[in-house]
Amino acid sequence: MTLPLKLGPLVAGGFTIHRSGVHWLRADGDLCRAGEVIGYCNVSLEPSGGGLPGRIPFAEERELQVALAPRAAGHLRLGKSATLGGHLDEFGVYNWDPEAVVAELELSADAGPNDGTLRLLMLAGRRVTGLADVLTGMLPGWHNRARGWWADQSGGDVATLLSIGICDAVGPVRGEHSAFTEMFEEARLPAQAVFVPNHPVAPCATCLFEQFERTPAAYRAISDDLMGALTGGGVKATPDDWLFVGTLLQTLEDSPIRDTYDLLTPSGLLKGGAPTAVLISATAEGTTTLVHKKLGYCLHLLPVYRDAAGPAVKAWLASAFEPVKRSLDDMKRDYLRLIDSVSAETKARFLILNKMSTSGREDVVTYTPFDLPLGDTLANVAAKEMNLMLDDVAASRDVTIIDVDAIATELGGDEHLPDGIHQSGTMQAEIRSEILQALFETAD
Amino acid sequence: MLFELKMPKLNDNMDTGLIETAYGAEDSALKLGSKLLDISVDLSRAFSQNCPPVSYYRLVLRETLWLRGLAAPGTRCTAGERIALFSNTPDEPIDGPVAREARVLVAGINVHDEMFSRSTAA
Repeated sequence: MTLPLKLGPLVAGGFTIHRSGVHWLRADGDLCRAGEVIGYCNVSLEPSGGGLPGRIPFAEERELQVALAPRAAGHLRLGKSATLGGHLDEFGVYNWDPEAVVAELELSADAGPNDGTLRLLMLAGRRVTGLADVLTGMLPGWHNRARGWWADQSGGDVATLLSIGICDAVGPVRGEHSAFTEMFEEARLPAQAVFVPNHPVAPCATCLFEQFERTPAAYRAISDDLMGALTGGGVKATPDDWLFVGTLLQTLEDSPIRDTYDLLTPSGLLKGGAPTAVLISATAEGTTTLVHKKLGYCLHLLPVYRDAAGPAVKAWLASAFEPVKRSLDDMKRDYLRLIDSVSAETKARFLILNKMSTSGREDVVTYTPFDLPLGDTLANVAAKEMNLMLDDVAASRDVTIIDVDAIATELGGDEHLPDGIHQSGTMQAEIRSEILQALFETAD
Repeated sequence: MLFELKMPKLNDNMDTGLIETAYGAEDSALKLGSKLLDISVDLSRAFSQNCPPVSYYRLVLRETLWLRGLAAPGTRCTAGERIALFSNTPDEPIDGPVAREARVLVAGINVHDEMFSRSTAA
């Protein structure tokens, strides 16, 4: 049986929805899974009737796309009219027509009843700068927030997962195509996944807490101090310095936990508020962080991002900050402060990725050669202590620990987590499943 | 007799390891449990545009030997390349045949400020 694949409804009251031609991710004849993203198009909203509305939805999100997935498995048959190529597949040259047939599907024998309406994965990206306009691909460019939501719901609350990321969170959440497609395919309940990268501040509990509590006046003091250091310091600022500073100030100004979200859905525009769950990672914790000598705020910068700064920022970091050691007790205190502070204002539940704490590449037969405390030297002892601390946090607060340690042990850390942080696709899928389970348990 | 230590292959995808810290002076007697070397293994082949998959390890001697040669911090060695030479007497000529590999234990460690890559970081 051949099924016409229709776009299905999308509604934005007061706006006309335009779309580009379809960028196909699968070729004509390919066997596609139910829920697999097979193509996408760019979307834009134009005010209906020529008037300017009071508020433009998605005004901060220059990337707005819709990815398409069949609801049943089958062989894809592409229609000629669904793609125009070139810039016409980038711009909104079509009006959104829910009855528009963009392809056909030769249904697999076991496919159930289906009217051919595609599942829609909406994608939105907020660029770090308007200059970062990469025009092709799903969620292309450099974003300080990227998100995807399943346009399945016709109203009501959407379970929102906010992932404030570091390497071990980005893969499970954003997936192989970096566009939430695996999460979308696995999770059939209405949901939104939001990812905020660690450019350039690693999201340790201290930095997240300060970000959440920071007042506009405190931010202005940070900004004034930093700009003064760059323009009045002895080291001439380079373009790398200014790019770093702009990105840093964006990060320090607002907490992503306070973000709100426009949602384009089959029943109209919705407004989403605080996240249902906030996913953070113990890997973001550092045993040493930088504390500003005068203003007292904390920065935790991974070497790979610190190296992106120019000479003036590096000089500022060296002179204006003091490296401060953080004990496990310090980290626990900051987790509790963060959780309590966010809980006082939102219903968001924290999900915390713990750390792998074993390695097949070690052969420690005695601890005698190592100074006490062992956790200061031995990475796996430190990871075990970190995991125990997280269990203590979970015992006293309503948080969920995503047990990366156990998953790595089950799958085999040597193969699936060779450096203790960067997972294989198989392991990312396992972690993704546990994150989704925790999200929907929280949303219930 | 001479004993050598080769850069261990700590991951199937590892080509090289970087000597981060060297402990012990040449021609000194080392006790069982002496720290020898800290090494880092970068699975991105030491040049990464992104967050590098780096692990750090310490090699600790599991027997009593004389240290006769040790790779210097900052040296990048291929897996299987000699990184230390030992003898069981202080005056053993070091150009003779190697009897066997020295016995060491390998432990994953935290990064620390005395490491070569830390001291040369911008």
